[in-house]
Amino acid sequence: MMPLLDVKDVQAGYGDMRVLHGLSLHIGPQESIGLFGPNGHGKTTLLKTISSLVRPTAGSITFDGTDITGRKPPAIVEAGLIHAPQGNTLFGNMRIAETLELAAFSKRASNGAEKRLDEVYALFPRLAERKTQLAKTLSGGERQMLSIGCALMCAPRLLMLDEPTLGLSPRLKEELGAAIGEISKSGVPLIVVEQDIEFLLSLTDRLYLVEHGVVVREIDRASAPDHEEVMRLYFGEGGTH
Amino acid sequence: MDTLLATLVSGLVLGSLYALMASGLSLVWTTLGVFNFTHGALMMVGAFIAWTVSEAAGAGPVAGVVAGTLGAGLIGIVIERLVIRPFYASRNMLLVTAMTTLAVTIILERGAQMIWGPRLKQLPPLVDGEIRLFGNAISAHEALLLVAAPIILIALWRFTVSSKIGRSLRAVGQNQDSAALIGVDVPTAFALAFAISAALAGLTGALLGSIRFITPAMGSEPLTKAMIVVIFGGLGSLGSTAGAAYLIGFIEAFLVLWVGLYWTPFALFLLMILVLLLRPNGIFGKR
Repeated sequence: MMPLLDVKDVQAGYGDMRVLHGLSLHIGPQESIGLFGPNGHGKTTLLKTISSLVRPTAGSITFDGTDITGRKPPAIVEAGLIHAPQGNTLFGNMRIAETLELAAFSKRASNGAEKRLDEVYALFPRLAERKTQLAKTLSGGERQMLSIGCALMCAPRLLMLDEPTLGLSPRLKEELGAAIGEISKSGVPLIVVEQDIEFLLSLTDRLYLVEHGVVVREIDRASAPDHEEVMRLYFGEGGTH
Repeated sequence: MDTLLATLVSGLVLGSLYALMASGLSLVWTTLGVFNFTHGALMMVGAFIAWTVSEAAGAGPVAGVVAGTLGAGLIGIVIERLVIRPFYASRNMLLVTAMTTLAVTIILERGAQMIWGPRLKQLPPLVDGEIRLFGNAISAHEALLLVAAPIILIALWRFTVSSKIGRSLRAVGQNQDSAALIGVDVPTAFALAFAISAALAGLTGALLGSIRFITPAMGSEPLTKAMIVVIFGGLGSLGSTAGAAYLIGFIEAFLVLWVGLYWTPFALFLLMILVLLLRPNGIFGKR
């Protein structure tokens, strides 16, 4: 079966610093995957390369059978490959409602934007309560909700979430996890970057361990590692006590 | 009493002029993060194009104003393409583009001297006659400027607040990557902001061309004033820029009355330095 997204031997980086050293992964048509691994080893760079904020220097990226390597970001968004970036990276001086309306910017996303806006408010009632608030006045959790909400407004055919629960309290993390589960159940395939393997396993079908800019291991949910093995994956053989 | 009213009217005319100039400067600053020194030269080019179409080609002042506006907008797109876009990724973008836009200003001023020659030119007013305002007679053309400036500013404000494209310009100004990730083409947004700003400068020049003489250096003084306005108002929102423009207009009119034309620029700069010392984010700027 043809994969929905096929990343082959991608190399990319910033200036002279190369971060991805021939990374390959794929995601099936009805599949969600998780990426984990130490910080600074290329997970975020991979998402940025897929959404074309970073141009790959080698390799190819195919989405739904079309080679999208090196296309401009608006073309990637138009194709339905949506990236919700990490952290507080939104439009500080815009109101929530305005931001969400604007997020349905691409031609494809402008169809049915009103219906999707209602869905986003239903998924995140807190955003509905704060429609006229400026994005910079939101809490960390609310910013994440807005970021995911924006990505949903883009009508994703594949949604990439970069550490959606970074720095959140356990309660908020659970709340966001449930919302992401809803999105997945509605039929949107996901790529989720996270440090918490348990969290990833609850949301996705397969995991990739990314280290030094390459995939070093692929884990199926069926053969999920136990706690000790997870520790070994993160800290190496000497990491367990 | 008469002097006071006359000064107020004169301040209103100056304020309208500065508001038109400064809003374009502020639009480019908030969207691209670049200080565009060609803004005054674009105003001058707009005035010369308006003169060429209206007088040399004989198409009339209305066609002249339209041509000056569009012509300056087109030249703005070319300037953005040639001397700003290549430096987007550069770490010293602000400094580099300050130098490239200053260089373009010199090229445009010398170019205008070569094309249009040294003889002073002036446009006929768009509307003839005089209008009495608070007991003072002002030309109908100046009255038109008084009415047109707020209308244009409100239109620009509505555009950036309500329209999809206008909102996308604000989004690009606040976070380029996030804007790209919802499908906004960042370079196109930059070019559009620059073109709108340049067209506003051209329009101002074409309107000013029947109040003052059209010369290659006519843009430098309004640019300086627009800079003071933008800094005075706090770089950022259109509303504070417009407010500062009228405030500076009134202050200048009263300074001319009190300290005379010769010392007015000095006093204005002194005021700007005081503002920068006491309120670094401008009179209306938020911390």
